[in-house]
Amino acid sequence: MPPKGSRKSASSLPTQTLVLDNGAYTLKSGLVPAGSSNLAYDGCTVTPNCIARSSRDKRTYVSSELSKCADFGELAFRRPVEKGFIVNWEAEKAIWEHEFLDSKAKEGLRCDPRETNLLLTEKPNCPSLLQKNCDEIVFEQFEFARYYRCVGPTLNAYHPAQPNSLSSLPQECLLIIDTSYSDTTILPLYSGQLIQSALRRLTVGGKLLTNYLKELSSLRHYNMMEETYLLNEIKEAVSFVAPSAQQFGQNLERTWKGRLGDKRNLDPTIVLDYVLPDYEQSIHGYARPHDPAKSRMRRGLQPLQGPREDLLPLGNERFAVPELLFHPTDIGIQENGLPEAIMQSVGLLPEALKVGMLANVVVVGGNSLIPGFMERLESDLRALVPAEYYLNISRAEDPVKHTWLGAARLASQPELLKEVLVDKAEYDERGSGWLARKFAGGDTK
Amino acid sequence: MPHVEVLPNSASVSAPGWTYVVDTGYDPSKAPINPKDRKRAAARTQGRRGDNELTARQQTAIARRIAELDRDNDPKQQIAIPGKNVPAKTANARRIIQSARQIKHWLDEEEALAQLAPAPRTAATSSRAPPSRKLSTVPPTPAETTPGPTSGFMTPLPREDIDPLLSIEKTMAPPLSESELDALLSAPPLSYAESFATLPAGGPPQRQFCDNCGYWGKIKCLKCGARICGLECKDAHESTRCLKWA
Ligand SMILES: [Zn+2]
Ligand SMILES: [Zn+2]
Repeated sequence: MPPKGSRKSASSLPTQTLVLDNGAYTLKSGLVPAGSSNLAYDGCTVTPNCIARSSRDKRTYVSSELSKCADFGELAFRRPVEKGFIVNWEAEKAIWEHEFLDSKAKEGLRCDPRETNLLLTEKPNCPSLLQKNCDEIVFEQFEFARYYRCVGPTLNAYHPAQPNSLSSLPQECLLIIDTSYSDTTILPLYSGQLIQSALRRLTVGGKLLTNYLKELSSLRHYNMMEETYLLNEIKEAVSFVAPSAQQFGQNLERTWKGRLGDKRNLDPTIVLDYVLPDYEQSIHGYARPHDPAKSRMRRGLQPLQGPREDLLPLGNERFAVPELLFHPTDIGIQENGLPEAIMQSVGLLPEALKVGMLANVVVVGGNSLIPGFMERLESDLRALVPAEYYLNISRAEDPVKHTWLGAARLASQPELLKEVLVDKAEYDERGSGWLARKFAGGDTK
Repeated sequence: MPHVEVLPNSASVSAPGWTYVVDTGYDPSKAPINPKDRKRAAARTQGRRGDNELTARQQTAIARRIAELDRDNDPKQQIAIPGKNVPAKTANARRIIQSARQIKHWLDEEEALAQLAPAPRTAATSSRAPPSRKLSTVPPTPAETTPGPTSGFMTPLPREDIDPLLSIEKTMAPPLSESELDALLSAPPLSYAESFATLPAGGPPQRQFCDNCGYWGKIKCLKCGARICGLECKDAHESTRCLKWA
């Protein structure tokens, strides 16, 4: 720990930084003391970035309170972040206050913003008007002592390239694939700096996959349009990525009912029945092998005595939903699949950088946890990358918390942090236009 | 009157008549015309577009559906903030907190601003987070034959020691000039709309699926243009999603 000094003086930094990876789906947060050397995923708390309202128990749940919810049926969500950007500050403010400031609360992170630095992440290509709103709220409403806002995934460059590396400098060439709730972005980084012109984005993210599964299930089986929470749970439990486009086609055959007069048997290794929770006896559902007889039973046909169950059969939905990451055109999104989009991005770089990027591809974001995702991405990419290039691609050990940990590594190093933080007095004097230019790395005279 | 159209075979079968399309793709030159149905034949001839080209109505329908799938908040749902919250501390903060605008309004305004005043393409290097970098201009050294994850350029070294070409096949990578790198690093961000990985022209044809069951979409609905797998899914399609997004 560095000497504490006077916290009020303009020349010394507060000793702790609130590192906040402010995702659309979850907040990844933690307090990082200056100079801390034992940073780990454990230091990161993941809480929902939403306010949820149940029409059944008439309760409203703010962020981490959702863990107390026992009935997710028809739960409605209010999310402050849209398309990855903080849009609704009324809701985000309430969530931040609840999670970080509430002095009466016994759990979670508590800090006094006036004695805390804030390191806040944002998605790339954020509208400047929303950046301005964010900066003004951080300093004028929350009154953080010092603040830095930057594109979250770029902070992954602060992870050591090798586990025992002592260097604090960002990795030189790093290609981050961030496949998250809001979308999927491809970020070529040079020494931690984003090469903006080669950034590429796919509309497909976890939110779209969940909504697609919800749409398909509602069309084919029950109306589940109000059951976003449940469908997300089902998506996480059953979806997988086919190993190749060819295997995708074979799976489609094996899960097809066939024609009238030419019925086919569904492949029991793919088709599942998801036993839906009733929110009385059970909060969570589970999947089991498909049973044609049972799945034909509708609720009314089931015995009044004894256990009743509602089953959602899942066949091609299991692999056709995440396939959108590789074929957005399957539902008409006129965008490249992820492997082609990666080639599109690196294709905009000079040869030397292209080689460096492809040799150091790291995947973060929750969608990378879908079984088969990494195998498919790697094998599709190998087919696209010229043979003489070295391709090295890996998933972060914890793809959800990895960006947070990268940010924490920056926050733990006072000499690096000092370079980027802006203090409140300076903001008060120079204003939000100046601050926006400074964070964009532009002229700040 | 059924509202389905069996697509002509896309495989190189020259015999006229109906078969199921195998998978995807549509070659208009091979489209047989059903002489018994002049209205449909006329519509088809008039269209004469590749099968992946859609009518304006279909495009609108697809765009609306994708917007629905990509939506973060349901505008019909009003969830009030519970409990007591810190009041707004400045007029700025109050205005921002009370704003009920959605992301599409912000993106529209951003686009409008960009039209009015194109962003100045100023260099942006002075206050970047990363420490200064120094590029070596020495000729590349022979590369390791099988560079692994531990190869030199992935290891953060003091900047003075880094040769970005050290472990790069020298035959493949011409040296990177400092000015070229500076230009890349100082380029301003793209707008949100510019950032998408748009499809290049002339790519492979879009795969088509049954709108009802998700199997290959071998038959086209004449009413709405959606695909279905066969007669098995026709009724279900017509009673559910036919024309839903139009
Ligand atoms: Zn079908
Ligand atoms: Zn139709």
